[in-house]
Amino acid sequence: MTATDHSAPVPVRTVPSTVESTVDGTGRRRFSWRRPAATSLTRLAWSLAVLAVVLVMLAPVLGFLLVAISPRAFGQGDAWFTLAPLASALSGSTLQALLNTAITGVCAAVIATAIGTALALLFGRTQVPLAGFWRLALWALLLAPSYLEALGWTRLAERDGVLAALSGTDITWLRQLVMGPAGVVWVLASRGVPFAFLAVSGVVRGLGRDYEDAARVHGAGRWSRLRITIGMLAPGLWSALAIVFAEAISDYGVGATLAAGANFPIATYALAGAVTNFPADYPGAAAIGWLLMVLVLFALLAQRMATRGRSYAVLSGRSRPCRPVPLRGGRRVLALGALCVFFLLALGVPAFGTVSASLLGNFGSADASSFTLQAYQQVFERSDLLGPVLLSLRLALITATIAVAAGALIARVLARGARARRGGAASLLDLLMLGAVALPAIVLGAGYIFTYNLPAVTALGIQLYGTLTLLVIGLLAGALPQASRLLMGSFAQVQDSLPAAARVHGAGAARAWGTTILPLLSGSLLWAWLLTFADRLLELPLASMLYPPGQEPLAVAVTTLIAGYDFAGGTAVLVVACLGILAVIGAALVLFRLLAPAGWRRWEQR
Amino acid sequence: MKTRIRSAVLALAAATAVLATAAGCGSSSSTAASTAAPPLVVYSAQGYAQTVIDAFQKATGIQTKLVKDSTGPLLAKVAAEKSNPQWGLLWADGAEAFAALDGQGQLLKGYAPDVPLTAAGQSVFPQDRSYVPTGITLAGAVLYDPAKTPNPPTSWQELLSPAWRGKVGMPNPSISGPTYPFVAGMMSQLGGEDQGKAYFSQLKANGLQVFDANPDSLHALTTGAIQLDLAQSSTAFAAVVKNPGLKVAFLNKVSLLPSNIGIDAKAPAAVQDEAEKFAAFTLSPAGQQAMLAGNPSGDSLYWPLVNGVSPRQGVPPLDTVAYQTVDPYVWGPRESEINSWFTQNIVK
Repeated sequence: MTATDHSAPVPVRTVPSTVESTVDGTGRRRFSWRRPAATSLTRLAWSLAVLAVVLVMLAPVLGFLLVAISPRAFGQGDAWFTLAPLASALSGSTLQALLNTAITGVCAAVIATAIGTALALLFGRTQVPLAGFWRLALWALLLAPSYLEALGWTRLAERDGVLAALSGTDITWLRQLVMGPAGVVWVLASRGVPFAFLAVSGVVRGLGRDYEDAARVHGAGRWSRLRITIGMLAPGLWSALAIVFAEAISDYGVGATLAAGANFPIATYALAGAVTNFPADYPGAAAIGWLLMVLVLFALLAQRMATRGRSYAVLSGRSRPCRPVPLRGGRRVLALGALCVFFLLALGVPAFGTVSASLLGNFGSADASSFTLQAYQQVFERSDLLGPVLLSLRLALITATIAVAAGALIARVLARGARARRGGAASLLDLLMLGAVALPAIVLGAGYIFTYNLPAVTALGIQLYGTLTLLVIGLLAGALPQASRLLMGSFAQVQDSLPAAARVHGAGAARAWGTTILPLLSGSLLWAWLLTFADRLLELPLASMLYPPGQEPLAVAVTTLIAGYDFAGGTAVLVVACLGILAVIGAALVLFRLLAPAGWRRWEQR
Repeated sequence: MKTRIRSAVLALAAATAVLATAAGCGSSSSTAASTAAPPLVVYSAQGYAQTVIDAFQKATGIQTKLVKDSTGPLLAKVAAEKSNPQWGLLWADGAEAFAALDGQGQLLKGYAPDVPLTAAGQSVFPQDRSYVPTGITLAGAVLYDPAKTPNPPTSWQELLSPAWRGKVGMPNPSISGPTYPFVAGMMSQLGGEDQGKAYFSQLKANGLQVFDANPDSLHALTTGAIQLDLAQSSTAFAAVVKNPGLKVAFLNKVSLLPSNIGIDAKAPAAVQDEAEKFAAFTLSPAGQQAMLAGNPSGDSLYWPLVNGVSPRQGVPPLDTVAYQTVDPYVWGPRESEINSWFTQNIVK
């Protein structure tokens, strides 16, 4: 930014442009400036940026996938080219596992999006009693790793588990329900609800009530109005469906606990089995990775077909934030009841299971006399955990900051690409980003080893493997798709006319962005940062594959505790860490409320 | 137009920043490596590894770094690094994996510290000296609660009787590293792979429960979901330390399950030299002391294989147990096939 930028009014268009008319999602004809063809310089810059993303973030994904067809290139077999691993992945128990994965993924995505949308509308448009408490509960749900939730259910419902000990009888039907496909779908769906909520609520926030009021004026009933609202929420809904589906099919925690116990094989479990078996079958694991990517491709195609050719830019200079209406009488009772039931099933029950397990000294068995706080005392007395805690904090801070900055850029590219209907590079980027979500982290970790530990790569002087940098890059690769996807819904809503108006009035590009878009999106950006921070702090599979010798991150230290039969100690550390994260989130939100300009808070997440 | 160029520049700057951090952190570690003697990188699943490393660094001044994980993930990492190994020394339970690594040419051969060994110790040293056993545990100890199970079984065949229907549990060998030696040992003593598969199929028909890893089967034992937990001896003794009400029985026969050190065949000579010093140190009195002290409620509950060193209290003399030695060079190469068979036929 130079001084001249501010002093002289800058023409918005320097080359002739044309006006085109489009029909947006509400059926309203609107006019917009068509962008002139990009110059070769811009193209070059973008190509370089994409190349950087591909090299740093996605080469490992491709590296791992290549193992499936060319094992020898990575020292994993004799064949330079073979299709045998793919053929074997498409047969027998692995094929069954893939089908199970696809079905549970779709069910989880639909359930999570339905609940997430209901929550987003409830929080965004009504004054729910105890809104702060519910929001905190949603965050707690987001933070709990899926294996912890699955473990909580198992501890409750297992034979002679906590529930049987409390009630005195063995509840067989509940055990069969929980430790089966239904339990798997529920844990995956409830894990996905916060993602769906965040994706949809960004859109709900920007929607305001103008369109609904207009419909009302024209005599639309409650259901018609709801249909119109849902129609305009489409980018958020499809975003939510796609991300929950990708998250669900890549989840390993549930596969290793509930699904494994119920003899309900899912793809990630088969994939991890191929890796942890000895000798590790990386080509087989990579073949399953390919098929998971294909599933994501289907999800993306569905998303594109549903939202193609429509614009959802509803956030303009005239948009007003929606005024939440108070809930009264029966509606209030209904809303509170539904919230209670959801959070009890999604959070309360598993939390009870987990916390009770961490209070039990004796390998987590239920016995009234064995409840003890000893494990929690030890957490604060262990000096060997201080190093891992500080290291993980540092890694999470760095990763979250870079992920939100880069995620915002990517979200902007994706949102523009979708709007302009000509985003070839954008849709490729979208596929790669969601593909990175769909690949289980253990695969991503192995991919980094394959790519950055190749003798040819180290011969080039790239010594990244075994450094904290590669760990940060790995964590970033895992976080970037989420961050950009969560921000995309909000970016899709901002009309280009806002920064354009600022430019007409003489603001430079940065100032235009800072005074128009940043205030509108500051809430979303803050939440995306907090989400990434919390999610990365306890990340395990990538950390255990990539951590530098002698520098243990927190999740690895906790796993070592549990593997060393200190079950109570391990879960106690996890519970304390989750409480710590909640404290950081609370502090950040309070600071935002105190320090951010009033205009920013106007659009803050409700 | 200008906005686009600016945002392109911004994107470039972000990408460059990532690359620059990468280069920055990468170079700091590589310069450290080039100026001083190369550090010894130890990949270990042993609970006492850090204590032994601390003692070793104090005694020799050799900089040693630990990568700690369970046996399964560690071996997966070793396999992923096959084209360019980053470890200098691998220290884990189970000779089969080491025999298989030796078969792939990944281990340095011909080194064995000169120490007086017990009979059991001598029997687990490989012919070609491609790895160094450092201690002994047993595969297939029977852990039970005498309050709930006053009469534990006395033979492996007894487990197939209706009396033990649905009451026996064990970890999954394709997830829990030290469980494969138990499966291989059973197959070996029953006369071969086919007989062994028949035995496990019968055990399955009699309600055998398979858990992911040791902590899960221990948990099932204490809740009463199973009455007998077939576990590694150190795991069983560790459970007794935490819950003195439990007891350990050894059926006729159980298999020796040594912990071993392997040295990377591709490592620089200086690192291999450091690794040999480390292996020698673990079998020295000071090293054994550190191994016995490092994880008192876990891996330290092993039988030393050096003459004159006693196991920890609570570990009975090894000669009171009927044990056998399993040839890792026969059973190591079959691990993948047998584990896959086990997962598909016994676990499901």
